[in-house]
Amino acid sequence: MINFEKFELSNGLTVIVHEDKSTPLVAMNILYKVGARDEDPEQTGFAHLFEHLMFGGSINIPSYDEPLQKAGGENNAFTNNDFTNYYLTIPAANLETGFWLESDRMLSLAFTEKSLEVQRNVVVEEFRQRYLNQPYGDAWLKLRPLAYKVHPYQWATIGKEVSHIENATLQDVKNFFKKWYAPNNAILTLAGNCSVETAKELCKKWFEPIPAVNLTERNLPKEPKQTEMRRLEVKADVPSDQLYLAFHCCSRYDKDFYATDLLSDVLSRGKSSRLYQQLVKDKKLFTDIGAYMLGDLDESLILIEGKVSDGLNPSDAEEAVFEVIEELKKGISDKELDKIKNKAYSTLLFSEMSIANKALNLAYYEMLGDAEIANQQETIYNSIKSSDILNIANSILTKENCSVLTYLSNHHA
Amino acid sequence: MLNRNNAPDLTIPDSLLIPEAVTSQLKNGTPYITINSGTQEVIKIDLIFEAGSVYSSHPIIANTCNRLIEEGSGNYSSAEIAEMLDQYGAYFVTEAGNEFATISVYTTGKFIHQTLPVLKTILTEPTFASEEIETYKMQGKQRLAINLNKVDFLARRNFLNTIYGDNHPIGIMSKMEDFDMLSKEKLLEFYHNNYRNKLRAVFVGGKLSSEHESAIKNLIEELNFNHSNTNTSSEIKLLNPKTTYINKKDSIQAAIRIGKKMFNRKHKDYYDFTILNTILGGYFGSRLMSNIREDKGFTYGIGSGLATDINDGYFFITTEVGANVANDALKEIYFEVERLQNELVPEEELTLVKNYLFGSFQRSIDGVFALSDRHKTLHLNNLTTEHYLNYISRLKSITAEEIRNCAKKHFEKASFSEVVVGP
Repeated sequence: MINFEKFELSNGLTVIVHEDKSTPLVAMNILYKVGARDEDPEQTGFAHLFEHLMFGGSINIPSYDEPLQKAGGENNAFTNNDFTNYYLTIPAANLETGFWLESDRMLSLAFTEKSLEVQRNVVVEEFRQRYLNQPYGDAWLKLRPLAYKVHPYQWATIGKEVSHIENATLQDVKNFFKKWYAPNNAILTLAGNCSVETAKELCKKWFEPIPAVNLTERNLPKEPKQTEMRRLEVKADVPSDQLYLAFHCCSRYDKDFYATDLLSDVLSRGKSSRLYQQLVKDKKLFTDIGAYMLGDLDESLILIEGKVSDGLNPSDAEEAVFEVIEELKKGISDKELDKIKNKAYSTLLFSEMSIANKALNLAYYEMLGDAEIANQQETIYNSIKSSDILNIANSILTKENCSVLTYLSNHHA
Repeated sequence: MLNRNNAPDLTIPDSLLIPEAVTSQLKNGTPYITINSGTQEVIKIDLIFEAGSVYSSHPIIANTCNRLIEEGSGNYSSAEIAEMLDQYGAYFVTEAGNEFATISVYTTGKFIHQTLPVLKTILTEPTFASEEIETYKMQGKQRLAINLNKVDFLARRNFLNTIYGDNHPIGIMSKMEDFDMLSKEKLLEFYHNNYRNKLRAVFVGGKLSSEHESAIKNLIEELNFNHSNTNTSSEIKLLNPKTTYINKKDSIQAAIRIGKKMFNRKHKDYYDFTILNTILGGYFGSRLMSNIREDKGFTYGIGSGLATDINDGYFFITTEVGANVANDALKEIYFEVERLQNELVPEEELTLVKNYLFGSFQRSIDGVFALSDRHKTLHLNNLTTEHYLNYISRLKSITAEEIRNCAKKHFEKASFSEVVVGP
């Protein structure tokens, strides 16, 4: 349970405050409702590149990091397909420094050629380090275009290819900022040793003068229903075979989200879960296997990914996954349902341990419609029946709704 | 009119309060340390054993024993153990380091009574069934094969081998054959010697009712394990620094590790070196990050650190850079290391680092689990909260000259080893 108070500034910025006097710190989280799905298909990776540029100095302040560190603060950010999130923690006495820095970069950036050039290089190195220079690192670069034919989820946050990042111009950057970085497209949360009065006063001073912009309505193409199984086999210089199965499922906003999430838990939450016990422990077809739901804001995916045991045929391993799925469709016991609900409950508690996580949770649920949803999670999960989960399993865990990516190791050469 | 050019005034406190833990002893003398705070109904129990890799001559036995301890015990199969934990949303995290092995249980106040009996069977009667060992071997071999394809993994293990050599548990490089030598007998022997007979300390943190507290303490008393406080650590011979290049064909990035054997928390230069390291590569605004990432764009990240054990420690610089700029990156790394030996850190930068580290320390004790981890570090090193308070006062008093002296003493290029893995 996270207690909070919410108010909105005249420029449309939503502010949420969770006061916790037991800590000497405050976490400040700003979520901008823009992600990789909002990119031009010919300029992918842009939302993430932009996140890097947000640290290159703003209109009135040459450096973001230095004054924050000098105030004893620390910060970071992440971008995904749906939103971009910036967060910092700072000693409560210096909270105003956070307001000063965050409001100035919401107002406008410095936009220097040098900063753009350096961050282009940094992001290219990130692309190489995380996606290209790791065994199986490019799995998502291959899997997304296989599963999505029209929706922008067909590219990863890092971008389709390195050249899209290399070709970004300063004008592109400015346009992106003007379109998306505005108070009426953001949610500000504060968690920690900060009262609502202080928050109101500082928001009025630093954020309220920032003008709102006219937001363009998001109009993304809807992914057509998949009607037959898709396959991609990749021969790669990797030591063992790896298997990825992607099934289309509902969006985070859909009422079916919770049953779908629990379905992925039945498959793979914890070592006692069906996939791990049957396929790793009993049949030894995989050395590891997991399933998870992405939880995207538009229609999303459930992923099953497994490392096939050496010397086995990946198609046998794949068939065994479908056997587990078919067995699941026959029924879930009450005990199993309790188990995944208890897991959901403890996961929720552990996710509310730090002020930084509380600040992020509140912002995330406010983006979904209302921060209060954060406090309703336990009740909602508890209301799910096993028949809800089975219905979802029957409708989405089918071969015609599945995209299969197989990495074949150098042993097959 | 609001002036956005000037920074708001800053306040950095002169001192800070580190909440104390409550220390008592079990009947057998084992220190039992609790921290009761927090807002969420969560509980974490850490049992620390003298069961790290220094306690075995076999390279992976300590790690395997630690990993397999929860895979079946008494009359329960590993599947049943997993089921009993998952049923109530609890989970175990086990970890074997160089000196200590830890078994941690994360659970909720709501289900603590269902979790404790599972903890007891896992700790007192693990079976190490052959089938579980076979599965672990398959998993371990595959994981190692994948890791051997990563430049970062190769750089790290070769670097540690350069510093510690083949005869030290940190320096030893695990091989496929190590997995074949695992057996039930070896694991049981290690378990008896190092878990049942070498319980070092127990830490409990979370939002605890008095009923929770007594249930946990009773259970741990019932284990009837022997306490030990031996501080065994294998002797480290100082090896000659060397430069190694490892070819990994077709790699588009090169992994770099540079560093040397260093010291532990009790060394007189520990605080100064910690501050020096922060300036070099210990935070986002560090000199290595500012130069090699934020100015040159050679890398996604670069950093440096001091890794400490009870008896020893090592210093390292680590990065992955574009293969075509590896030599330029090396040049810049040594340039920054030398600059700290030759030039004084400007006052502005020194103030920034001091304030940053003060805030960092506040963050590191925020939250009951974080605070519990700090107390664990203190306790296992036979230190008190004074260790951290002295650090805070050293932060306030250290001068640019003292930092330069520390760099002159410890950053001599000839004392560094270097490992590069690239195309």
